[in-house]
Amino acid sequence: MNGYLLPVLLIILAPFIGGLVYGFERIVKARMQRRIGPPLLQPFYDFLKLADKRQMIVHSAHAFLGIMHFVSLWFALALLLLGADLILVIFLHLLSSALLIMAGFSTRSIFSHLGANRTALSILAYEPVLIIIAVSLFINTGSFDAAAAFTSEEPLLFKMPLAFVALLLVLPIKLKKSPFDVAEAHQEITGGVELEFSGLFFEAVYTAKWLDYIFCYTLVFLFAGSNILLGIGLVAGTFLYLNALDNSTARVNYKQMLRFSLGIAFTLAFINLLINSLT
Amino acid sequence: MNLYLTGVILLPLLVSALLLILPPKISKGLVILSSLVLSALALLLYIQVDEPLRITLPHAVNEGIVVADILMLLYFGWVAIRRKSVLVGLLSVLQLGGLLYLLRTLPASEAPQLLVDKLSTFMLLLINVISGIIAVFSLRYIDEEDCSAFRKKFFLSVLFWFIAAMNMVVISDNLEFFFFFFELTTLASFLFIGFRKDEVSVKNALTALWMNQIGGLTILAAIFFIAYNGYGEITFTNLLAHSTAEGVLLPLALLSMAALIKGAQLPFSKWLLGAMVAPTPVSALLHSSTMVKIAPFIILRLSPAIKDTPVAMVLIGLTGFVFIASAISALSQDNFKRILAHSTIALLALMIMMGAVGSPVTIVASLVLVLFHGISKCMLFLNAGILERVFHLKQSSDMDKLGESGPFTALVISIGFMSLLLPPFGAFIGKWLSIETIGTLATDKKLLGALVMVAVAGGGAVLSLLYFKVMGLLIARSGEKDRVQFEKTGPYYAGTTYLLLGLVMAGIIGLPLLLMYYFGPVATTTLGQAVPVFQDGWNFFVGTMRIPMLPMLIAFILLPLTLVTAMFIRFRHADRAKEYMCGEKVNYSFSSFYFTIDRAVPYFSAAGILFFIALLLAALL
Repeated sequence: MNGYLLPVLLIILAPFIGGLVYGFERIVKARMQRRIGPPLLQPFYDFLKLADKRQMIVHSAHAFLGIMHFVSLWFALALLLLGADLILVIFLHLLSSALLIMAGFSTRSIFSHLGANRTALSILAYEPVLIIIAVSLFINTGSFDAAAAFTSEEPLLFKMPLAFVALLLVLPIKLKKSPFDVAEAHQEITGGVELEFSGLFFEAVYTAKWLDYIFCYTLVFLFAGSNILLGIGLVAGTFLYLNALDNSTARVNYKQMLRFSLGIAFTLAFINLLINSLT
Repeated sequence: MNLYLTGVILLPLLVSALLLILPPKISKGLVILSSLVLSALALLLYIQVDEPLRITLPHAVNEGIVVADILMLLYFGWVAIRRKSVLVGLLSVLQLGGLLYLLRTLPASEAPQLLVDKLSTFMLLLINVISGIIAVFSLRYIDEEDCSAFRKKFFLSVLFWFIAAMNMVVISDNLEFFFFFFELTTLASFLFIGFRKDEVSVKNALTALWMNQIGGLTILAAIFFIAYNGYGEITFTNLLAHSTAEGVLLPLALLSMAALIKGAQLPFSKWLLGAMVAPTPVSALLHSSTMVKIAPFIILRLSPAIKDTPVAMVLIGLTGFVFIASAISALSQDNFKRILAHSTIALLALMIMMGAVGSPVTIVASLVLVLFHGISKCMLFLNAGILERVFHLKQSSDMDKLGESGPFTALVISIGFMSLLLPPFGAFIGKWLSIETIGTLATDKKLLGALVMVAVAGGGAVLSLLYFKVMGLLIARSGEKDRVQFEKTGPYYAGTTYLLLGLVMAGIIGLPLLLMYYFGPVATTTLGQAVPVFQDGWNFFVGTMRIPMLPMLIAFILLPLTLVTAMFIRFRHADRAKEYMCGEKVNYSFSSFYFTIDRAVPYFSAAGILFFIALLLAALL
């Protein structure tokens, strides 16, 4: 029972913790630029403000898919935290993003289409790396279950360091951080898929991003095995790295992103897999 | 001989002949009635046959088959002369020569020619039910075709003897029989693909002909090596009995090659992609219940013999490669039927791979994929036909108005895609079992296992993205048309669609039962060892594989139901707003973007050829 208490608490509080992470991130980023930045709870103030807006939608299916994107992402995250089959988790995570892509294509909006298409390309860029990580996990532990990684005595980091580097390289794509934020690209395509959502319905898409933080940092945590201190260190390091990167780089276009992730990150993870499966 | 069996073989032949002479009104009734009877017969046969049934036909039948064989090859030769195709001519001559040589040297066979076991009746059920539905659909489709009255009759007639030939393929034990009916399905698809008689049709029909003729040739070569190695009778049963004999890998590899060619695996995928030019029911037929399904059938038949051999390893590597290559090729497609065709090739690769792995779980996975892919693809292709005829749409990028003009067809196509993709539909379970069991392979063949897992999981992800892109266009609409009003498409189109929808739904609801009482027993006889399938609490077990049911159930509520609900749900109290255009007034075509990977395709074919060479080498060394 005790073993389940922490994951269940994490699952229930995930949107809240995600919001805090986002708030903290805005402060850290601001301090890196020598600004003071918003208060820690700013994301929640925004949340409350959005809830008060007039409800406007393009059409019902579009709005509904946005909500279900949030729900299915939460479900995928729950399975990950409970230590379920990693292939299943990755697949469900893909499907939750796919719901958002569908929403994007279901409107007659230029920016929404462009955003949906770029989101699809982003998935193509990071998904292969995640899959290789799952397969490497299997090769190393004999099981696809994330629980096998959480309980592993020897941290996976030491067995698959290159895969971890690859993960670090593709995380900015997943979290829509510069230089790989082509899917959102406010200055270019005004937010992409998010554009046609508003008010209460935008809330779902907005908080789904907070869930994605927890999802990504849990993936990072996987690499520490049962060593909790190492896990916290990895997560903190990744957090600083992502924000520093976001602050210091300019956006590349989607072709460069694909070439980079499939050419370098994928290759790194793949080499790691080859080494693991040959020894 | 068994009454039901006689029925499923002779009834389609009889109907085929009658359709040529009867007036159209009566033949419509005949087609519907005989489709029903055929399905019923196949079902009864499945229930009745428990122990494998071996049937000896009189010698006259053997001689009849030989004569028909020679006539067919002469017809191929004539086609070669008429169409000035050197390849077809050369292959026909080779086949004829090989056949005559074998006839002279082979001793007269005394073994039963037919073998009807659970695997055969499983295939018979799929063939007859699905092809029957397609036949009923074609009644209206072919009525609207721009061709002479006789050609219309001819089309339906070919369809029925095609069914008869397929039925014979899956019950032939004697390889000479098998060769004849294998080539007969080639002939049928040649006639079908060239049906429209324009330049492209004729060209693609010839491609299909020569590629499948190579398959026929490899079967003849397999027969030759069985005789040459001195195994005795040239039957599947006898070949399997010699599964550890010296030199057995060569005939096995040759038969697998025939399977790969029929299953349109690289580099032979061109014939299936070219088959798109035929009337759409033909595509439905070739993709779902007939023709390409011969590929997994052969591999499943041979799987007790080829598993754990070098041949199986090459097959697994090749199909893993084909899976991801065709998924990537599909990304650059816009033509709706071509997208479907690429996904067929990918899924066939998976079925063949699972058959080649040959463990209890993978055999179940392969069977699950064969059945559910058949149902879903049939539904998708028939609706592609409706799109063409009723809505005049061929490109997927033009479909963004379909959600408004034809919401029902849009919904059916979405469900079709979902049933190929999402949990808990059969095809997903099949895919998932595949990925997880390649892991067991990875314990002793780590490298191969790891590569194939990456290929299957990666290819699966690419395909899902593509499906979702099309589905996104299918639900597109504007705020004013937020209410859904289903369109009417007429009894033949709507009726067959409802029937297939019913089958898809029954497949979800009955999946645990189907696994226990349908796929389990079939896998047991195919493999010759018990395949335990049972349920324990919230877990479902296939052999040693655990399927957690709770996540599957929740995933079902979250995903497929979400997408169906999205069609109907209305937020009454929210105001409708126009899309944001940023003040721009550009005419923007809402085509979904696609990626040109045409540069990579020649390399795919080259890699496919290398794999074929490796297959032969693996068998020889």
